[in-house]
Amino acid sequence: MNLQALSLHHAISFPSLNPNNSTRLGFRLPSHRGFKIASVMSPQHTWTQTWKTDVLHLIDETEESLFKTGKFGRFGGVFVPETLVTCLNMLLSEFSFCLNDPHFQGELATALRDYVGRETPLYFAQRLTDHYNNGRGEGPEIYLKREDLNHGGAHKINNAIAQAMLAKRMGRRSIVAATGAGQHGVATAAACAKLDMECTIIMGDVDVARQSHNVRLMKLLGAQVKSIKGSFKDATSEAIREWVGDLERKYYLAGTAVGPHPCPAMVREFQSVIGKETRKQAMEKWGGKPDVLVACVGSGSNALGLFHEFVRDEDVRLIGVEAAGTGIDGGTHSATLAKGEIGVYHGAMTYLLQDDEGQIVGPHSVGVGLEYPGVSPELSFLRDIGRAEIHTVTDEEALDAYALLCRLEGICPALEASHALAHLGKLCSTLPSGTKVVVNCSGRGDKDIETVFKHQQQKSSGELISF
Amino acid sequence: MAFAASSSSAATARTSAQSDLAFRIPSNPPKFAKFAPSISRRSPPISCKMAATAVVDMELDAEALQRPDAFGRFGRFGGKYVPETLMAALTELEAAFNSLATDHEFQKELDGILKDYVGRESPLYFAERLTQHYKRHDGTGPHVYLKREDLNHTGAHKINNAVAQALLAKRLGKKRIIAETGAGQHGVATATVCARFGLECIIYMGAQDMERQALNVFRMRLLGAEVRAVHSGTATLKDATSEAIRDWVTNVETTHYILGSVAGPHPYPMMVREFHKVIGQETRKQALEKWGGKPDVIVACIGGGSNAMGIFHEFVEDEDVRLIGVEAAGFGLDSGKHAATLTKGEIGVLHGAMSYLLQDEDGQIIEPHSISAGLDYPGVGPEHSFLKDLGRAEYHSITDEEALEAFKRLSRLEGIIPALETSHALAYLEKLCPTLPDGTKVVLNCSGRGDKDVHTAINYLKL
Repeated sequence: MNLQALSLHHAISFPSLNPNNSTRLGFRLPSHRGFKIASVMSPQHTWTQTWKTDVLHLIDETEESLFKTGKFGRFGGVFVPETLVTCLNMLLSEFSFCLNDPHFQGELATALRDYVGRETPLYFAQRLTDHYNNGRGEGPEIYLKREDLNHGGAHKINNAIAQAMLAKRMGRRSIVAATGAGQHGVATAAACAKLDMECTIIMGDVDVARQSHNVRLMKLLGAQVKSIKGSFKDATSEAIREWVGDLERKYYLAGTAVGPHPCPAMVREFQSVIGKETRKQAMEKWGGKPDVLVACVGSGSNALGLFHEFVRDEDVRLIGVEAAGTGIDGGTHSATLAKGEIGVYHGAMTYLLQDDEGQIVGPHSVGVGLEYPGVSPELSFLRDIGRAEIHTVTDEEALDAYALLCRLEGICPALEASHALAHLGKLCSTLPSGTKVVVNCSGRGDKDIETVFKHQQQKSSGELISF
Repeated sequence: MAFAASSSSAATARTSAQSDLAFRIPSNPPKFAKFAPSISRRSPPISCKMAATAVVDMELDAEALQRPDAFGRFGRFGGKYVPETLMAALTELEAAFNSLATDHEFQKELDGILKDYVGRESPLYFAERLTQHYKRHDGTGPHVYLKREDLNHTGAHKINNAVAQALLAKRLGKKRIIAETGAGQHGVATATVCARFGLECIIYMGAQDMERQALNVFRMRLLGAEVRAVHSGTATLKDATSEAIRDWVTNVETTHYILGSVAGPHPYPMMVREFHKVIGQETRKQALEKWGGKPDVIVACIGGGSNAMGIFHEFVEDEDVRLIGVEAAGFGLDSGKHAATLTKGEIGVLHGAMSYLLQDEDGQIIEPHSISAGLDYPGVGPEHSFLKDLGRAEYHSITDEEALEAFKRLSRLEGIIPALETSHALAYLEKLCPTLPDGTKVVLNCSGRGDKDVHTAINYLKL
């Protein structure tokens, strides 16, 4: 299927694009004022049998056409310069081949088992469950999917190792990737060390300063770290530029489920092992499925990794939790699905945080990995059709959730995952007793200890901490 | 002098042992003579009771050698050199442990926690690039496998023992847990399990160490533990240990002491080994699955010796499996700044057990040094002293510099950042692998991850 047939104006009817955006990979739409794209479902739609059928139908349709069109409903796509289209085409066919190649799958399974440390446990958090019980001992049962136990301490490695293996198979010698918080950079550097591949990680200078520990880790693992002016969004653009400049040798390793097709599908596919294991483990543990899945959403890779397996299970609720930062109204945040508007960014149509002029708004969160102004097109789709619910949690709430899990379970979650955990505060009281809730503990929080420390120090000037 | 007499009779008893036992006694009789006076002049933190008669009047048959025997001795090492007040607690602990060893409910609960909380089984990972690195020009060389204890919850093997002891304490009805810590790793592991089980937790830490490890102190407090500073002595690990023991003596009815290594009075060396032996058991199973055989050589770093005992124990009776322990040579064995207890130490009693330890002419403990805090212990588990004397295990040492090189090497070749402690074992591969025949299966216990050490290493590695 010729991806070139997918014209830039296919399925969109927008005002003319701003020509000044041509230097960037994505195209920022001009002013959106008063421009609303009709939602497939109105938010007030009730959960009726018809709706369920409609939702499933949409999901099935999307899945069938995904590989050809790269679209999730109207989201996704291939909004890229001509030079990249052939390359993406090649990537897509290689990826499809690998999915069905038992040799590749076997090697990947071994790497996931022996190198990454899978399967990760589905852990029943007794004390956390008790904490959210009402006075009579009733309440949901909380399970944590322990992606924090992976090599590297987060879910990122699932995708990094698989794509690095894919790249090696395609004969590429050199990997280039962009990272913000640094987790994807570290995972990529580790995978490249293991597979004996050259590795260049591009980071915005803002992030290089903030994430010095992760920068050190990347260098230790043998990667070259290039600092460029700006933040993650600029680093991504630069990484893609480097890739375009040397398509024969280089491979762009996307860390998030964003970007032009096939990147979102690929990342989701490689992360979907999380959900697959969860289904099996839930069956072993209680002979059923989870009732509710909760995951934090930055760009959406860990959430999709958990959700994807259950998207067709109508009785499984999917809850994504975004970062409300210092406040969802007027404050700085990173709640793209909650507060963003549709546009094209880094090659895909999706929700993004943009101002009235269509300029990308710099996001903020105490969970640095959630600081992304866009979000996965697939999640945008799932949210629009009402399949996934999106909520937000502030920095304060996330920090409190971090401390709570440490104290109750002896697990220090990443501040990103703490957002998902914080949402339990609002969620649990609404759930019937015995509801099975699975929270994706997407990373460990050793990297955040200093942030939490500084925060507590600031608080202690006003409050007493129990020391 | 009575001791010297009994030990020379012990020496006689041993020399008449069956020759196939390869039983090596310390070769220098004057060492024993020197030992007796020094033990009377030295004032150890705990007073000791010496058996009037030789304790080695036993069957000198490899199979029948109990590890430990009824007195808690491994040969002449080990024992229970503690104040009277602790004897009852130790006996109670031993009885509880023995009964739980056959308690299916306890085992099932522990297995569940090891699986879902700690993340076991840890993989046995074929290190392809490391193996390649050790290939000789003709393409031959050993195959190197890493037992990935670094993937455990909290990033080291320590949690295996901490979790089991916390569960044991709960069974005993103890609500209060105490522990000592140096750099904080064992403290964090203990605080972690106490949070998980809802137990009160007090960690003793040298004031000097607390300053150097402020973030670990914060982490322990976040996990709900109380961290108490110890100012006596050099305000480091050994002083924290003494303080913890003092607390235990005072509060023995309500308190369980989670000792972090295979050191200390009986039953600790045995108990901690038993709780870590899962490492070796998994390794046997995984080796069989992977190559249909056993490991040929097992390598592990030695501080107190718990991770090494954890992987060795399963294979001690397998004479065709070589056991290699690697200690810290710090700035060098001749520098006086090291922690190579089994190479440079002499026998004495420390923290309740007889074992090799680093002591000066007056029997005072020498402050050890290693770039890795976890190996920075002046003693060693009595069972290691025993295995060394038996000739069953070999013990070598590696300098700080060699360890740092190995730290960098594994990071670059496999994308795994090892703990500096583990790096000592990894460094020894440089000396070992060239001597091994083609296809030898080497299993190295990757006892911890090195995120905690990046800051230290970076200063030296100048990245």
